[in-house]
Amino acid sequence: MRIKKSTRIILFVFMLLFCVIIIIPFLIMVSTSLKTPAEISSAAFRLWPERWQFSNYVEAMRSSDWGRFFWNSFYTTVLSVVISLVINSLAGYAFARMTFKGKDFLFLLALVGMMIPQQVTMLPNFVAMKYFPLMGGNNILGQGGTGLVNTYAGMVAPYIAGAFGVFLFRQFFMNFPKSLDDAAKIDGLSRMGAFVRIYLPLSKSIFATLIVFKTTSTWNEYTWPLIITTRKNMWTVQLALSVFKEEFITQWNYLMAATTLIMLPLLVMYVFMQKYFVEGIVTTGIKG
Amino acid sequence: MKKKKDVTIDRCAYWFIAPYYMFFLLFVLLPIVVNITLSFTDFNLKTISFVGLKNYFVLAHDGLFWKSVLNTLIYVIFTVFMTLVLGFVLALALNSAALWGTRFFRGFIYLPYVTSMVSMSMVWLWLYDPTNGVFNVMLETLGLEARQWLYDEKLALGAMIVMGVWKGIGYYMTLYIAGLNNIPSYLYEAASIDGAGCLQKVFSITIPMLRPVTFFIVITGVINAFNVFEQVNVMTGGGPMNATTTIVHQIYTRAFTEYRMGYGAAEAVFLLLIILVFTLLNFRYGNQGQDLDIG
Repeated sequence: MRIKKSTRIILFVFMLLFCVIIIIPFLIMVSTSLKTPAEISSAAFRLWPERWQFSNYVEAMRSSDWGRFFWNSFYTTVLSVVISLVINSLAGYAFARMTFKGKDFLFLLALVGMMIPQQVTMLPNFVAMKYFPLMGGNNILGQGGTGLVNTYAGMVAPYIAGAFGVFLFRQFFMNFPKSLDDAAKIDGLSRMGAFVRIYLPLSKSIFATLIVFKTTSTWNEYTWPLIITTRKNMWTVQLALSVFKEEFITQWNYLMAATTLIMLPLLVMYVFMQKYFVEGIVTTGIKG
Repeated sequence: MKKKKDVTIDRCAYWFIAPYYMFFLLFVLLPIVVNITLSFTDFNLKTISFVGLKNYFVLAHDGLFWKSVLNTLIYVIFTVFMTLVLGFVLALALNSAALWGTRFFRGFIYLPYVTSMVSMSMVWLWLYDPTNGVFNVMLETLGLEARQWLYDEKLALGAMIVMGVWKGIGYYMTLYIAGLNNIPSYLYEAASIDGAGCLQKVFSITIPMLRPVTFFIVITGVINAFNVFEQVNVMTGGGPMNATTTIVHQIYTRAFTEYRMGYGAAEAVFLLLIILVFTLLNFRYGNQGQDLDIG
């Protein structure tokens, strides 16, 4: 479409204004995190702080065991990403390149599962975790202990059940030429051999997409950790932040400092891997 | 006559899918069965008793629950509609090659979608702060009266919706941009020859051609919006006067603060049914967005 220069400029200015509106909450977050309490409560509003209080960040992190919270978030994210990558790529490969009985039905089942939100399964999942047999002091009938509540296994397991990765890998592997399989057969490679030696080395971009997607969704998860952890030493950063709010509701500078810090790892990732963020949602666009 | 099969059955395929289906069975399918079963019981994590349909009868007369259904519906309708329209307009603007810096704009508009709902709730809690929040500072600068925002029964849900739109807009926009890339350019060229103007092209080509994308966005958007919980729990706790309580917030409150697991399960069944309707609609009329091209 041909557009006149004047329209072009108006459009540009409009987009710029819109972007500013989108970004303002982030700017206010950062500037508040650097202000003194006196400046925050003063009547005169100014976007940038008078004196930059970087010590707010140190104080905020000292207020509680944030090292532990970051570790918990990091560890559950790594577990969820690594296990998902392995089992989702295997299943996606089978659905894309193999023929077997019940394939269509099983895939449909996974698709339906992809639409079932975690909010519907959180209650029974909690019950299942609590009464998980032989774990956390439980006997074989799941009685007596706390099961998988307050364990990393309990925190991560439901994330891995998301079907998004299976779907993503299947879409990706289906685009490979059929002749690849024949070549592998001639070379005497088993199915597993072909998967590991031929398919995986060609799949870097799809792995990057899923890593980005899974890291974001696990790191940002709030509801499930809220339910499955009852002890403070198992809190993730999101959960810790929400509790931090109740304790320090008036200290906005500390609260905003902590908010900035827990967002930082993803922001860095976003800056460097923006392409993969977009690819993930465009392929299906469902949280899983 | 025996027909020879030309396809080989891969028995080992089951080993490839087994690890995934183990998790799927344990943490998606089984929970749904457990949830339905629990909804017929009174269960407080210690004692359990079968009560038949009692939970559902109580649910039918639970004013607070229906209030939460109404709130959720309002949230769903406004958030999905507003995000959809804005996302579409932005996609149109940013897809035209004539504009400078489209990559830069897209990157910024998508940013809120990357961050967690909890952290954004904190930020918006501060923006909505009655004494020093930026919204009231602006109103006062303009000589208008400051508002109570999240503490005002009439404004709280609207405040949530505004934040929801702000956070989701980049996601919708990205899907629409992908959809726009899929529209063959000869359609526009043909329209130009026929003398169609810009607006005419949008209404007679772009919007009809984007119908599958719109359908997909509406379905997934509605499902996601029905599950609204995190910002409610963090920002208002369902208040003031239950003005922002939602279905999932009710489930959470009943099950995990009052330990009425059976009753919470009945509420979850209600939510599951709503989700199921939209899922079936999607399978019946949608195409899972499979043929979207990555732009």
